[in-house]
Amino acid sequence: MAIEIIDAELCSGCGACVEACPMDVIRMGDGGDVAVIRYEADCMMCELCVIDCPEDAITVTPFAVSPPVRSWG
Amino acid sequence: MPQQPDVRVIESDVLVVGGGMAGCFAAIKAREAGATVTLADKGTCGKAGQTPFAGGMLVFNEAWGDDLEAWLRQIEVYSDHLNRRDWTELCFRESFARFEDLCAWGVEFERDAAGQVVRGGVPLGPCKAVHMGVVKPPLKLRRQTERSGARIVDRTMVTGLLKDDDGAVCGAVGFPLDDEDAVVVFRAGAVVLAAGAGGLKVPGWPIGDLTHDGDAMAYRAGATITGKEFVDPHAGRGDWDAPSAFGRFGKGGDDGKPRFGPVVDAAGEEMPRTGTLFLDLEFAAHAGRAPFTMKLPEGDVPVVGGAASGMGVHKAEGVWPAGHDCSTQVPGLYAAGDALGAMQSGATYAAIGQSIANCAVTGARAGAAAAARAGEVRGGVASGRPAPGVPPAELDRALAELLTPARRRGGFGPRWATQVLQNTMLPYFVMFVKRGDRLQAALTTVEFLRDSVVPKLFARDRHELRLAHETRNMVLNSEMRLRASLFREESRGCHYREDFPRRDDDGWLAWVLLRERDGRMALGTEPVPDAWRPDPSVPYEERYPFRYPGE
Repeated sequence: MAIEIIDAELCSGCGACVEACPMDVIRMGDGGDVAVIRYEADCMMCELCVIDCPEDAITVTPFAVSPPVRSWG
Repeated sequence: MPQQPDVRVIESDVLVVGGGMAGCFAAIKAREAGATVTLADKGTCGKAGQTPFAGGMLVFNEAWGDDLEAWLRQIEVYSDHLNRRDWTELCFRESFARFEDLCAWGVEFERDAAGQVVRGGVPLGPCKAVHMGVVKPPLKLRRQTERSGARIVDRTMVTGLLKDDDGAVCGAVGFPLDDEDAVVVFRAGAVVLAAGAGGLKVPGWPIGDLTHDGDAMAYRAGATITGKEFVDPHAGRGDWDAPSAFGRFGKGGDDGKPRFGPVVDAAGEEMPRTGTLFLDLEFAAHAGRAPFTMKLPEGDVPVVGGAASGMGVHKAEGVWPAGHDCSTQVPGLYAAGDALGAMQSGATYAAIGQSIANCAVTGARAGAAAAARAGEVRGGVASGRPAPGVPPAELDRALAELLTPARRRGGFGPRWATQVLQNTMLPYFVMFVKRGDRLQAALTTVEFLRDSVVPKLFARDRHELRLAHETRNMVLNSEMRLRASLFREESRGCHYREDFPRRDDDGWLAWVLLRERDGRMALGTEPVPDAWRPDPSVPYEERYPFRYPGE
């Protein structure tokens, strides 16, 4: 669903995906050495992160997961 | 979250909001005019907005044998005579100079073996576009913006404009995504809004980061807005939620070129194409003829309509220009690109590449005009005098507006509010196949969101603060769309009313203008000048080659 994986083994921590994401889905992890998926629900599946990742560490699938509508949230 | 934020002040002659094609052109041309420039983008300049996905640029050049009258005719006919001829012609005439700018800045265009740029179009008329591919060209724009000496402030969302005691725009406020305590006050002699158009974060079109932030800020500052009744009708792929109309952009994927094939209905019958009026899917769905299949090289794929729901027609929605310098009704405020409702195209999008060409032309114009304005305000560009002061009460108001969702201890989540808004606005029978009672029903819900949910939006961090402001802007945009759609009691271009299925030249050869008056959204019209109206002695069917169901 949407952005699924940033492979921590492959990630070099360059931050290119953080820059590339128009939706602010990806941030650098607390240690600052690898990128992490922080706000998955906001991924628009444009794949700009996949294009920019020099390590091919990111997997994006073209499907979103929408929560059911609740009475308030 | 501390009550007193860390306030950073950035001062320049010109502030540009948005770092796509229009924003970069505005920044570069303002720098060329001698102004100091700051460009802010809520994403990364050169990587956000629609620019990474746009490859075609309309270029008119008499030296290449292009016939101005024939090109204008294509736009007029396929815009249902609701384009502004002055802006259409202006963008044609200046497109070649902007194309030469891009070439000089290192943007490469598709060329044949002899080195000539390849141009393509659609079989509607003579208008033609050159192609620069996708994703990479905006990075060249960014590099040129950096070389120009403009200061780029990435990942910083601008939320509201600041006005001085005379009512002129003197800056803006925003916040960085990566600092939980900071806010930014931009002081400037002029502001250019180039933050794009937007949608409702719908699946199927890569515009989720575009939420009409520019024209929402302009509206709240007193500017006039136009074009909200016309809908962008791009289709998306039914078996994916992801962007698909241009194919996928992933590595090892495709060449980035559009891949449209014939669309067939459930019975296998090819659906009629009506020129640029891609409302066919919605019409056929309404008649129960879904699902649809698009025949692509890799096989048949299901198609859904309304992928970009919430977006209008490129260059036909946004701030109504006060002059050809991209000024607005608010002194010191300029708009460019998709944020400017110049009506270069009209009720439908009438030629490939109009969008990028217009971004380049209006961006350049707005940048030059904003630099001149800032020079007047400061007693001459580069005079060294400080930017105008911001009245303290105005700054307090703007910062309170910015921080309210972050200061609340509870409330509605912006994702939930957006989901409710999507459920209200996205079904095809609201904005694609319209009827007065259904529009009114949706408007009732949107008014409730405006009055009872938006004031109580709650953000736990800066990411959600961005979402909260985006939600607020999308709710405002939805209200504009519904009111303008109810107001225009005819069908024209990508505005189809089941209850008014014909074009009405006597009543509605006019642009709908929206502005805030006494806290309410006021609507009015600006008639198309007589010289631009189609000859009424020409039969309706010849004036308008495309038919709506029910007319």
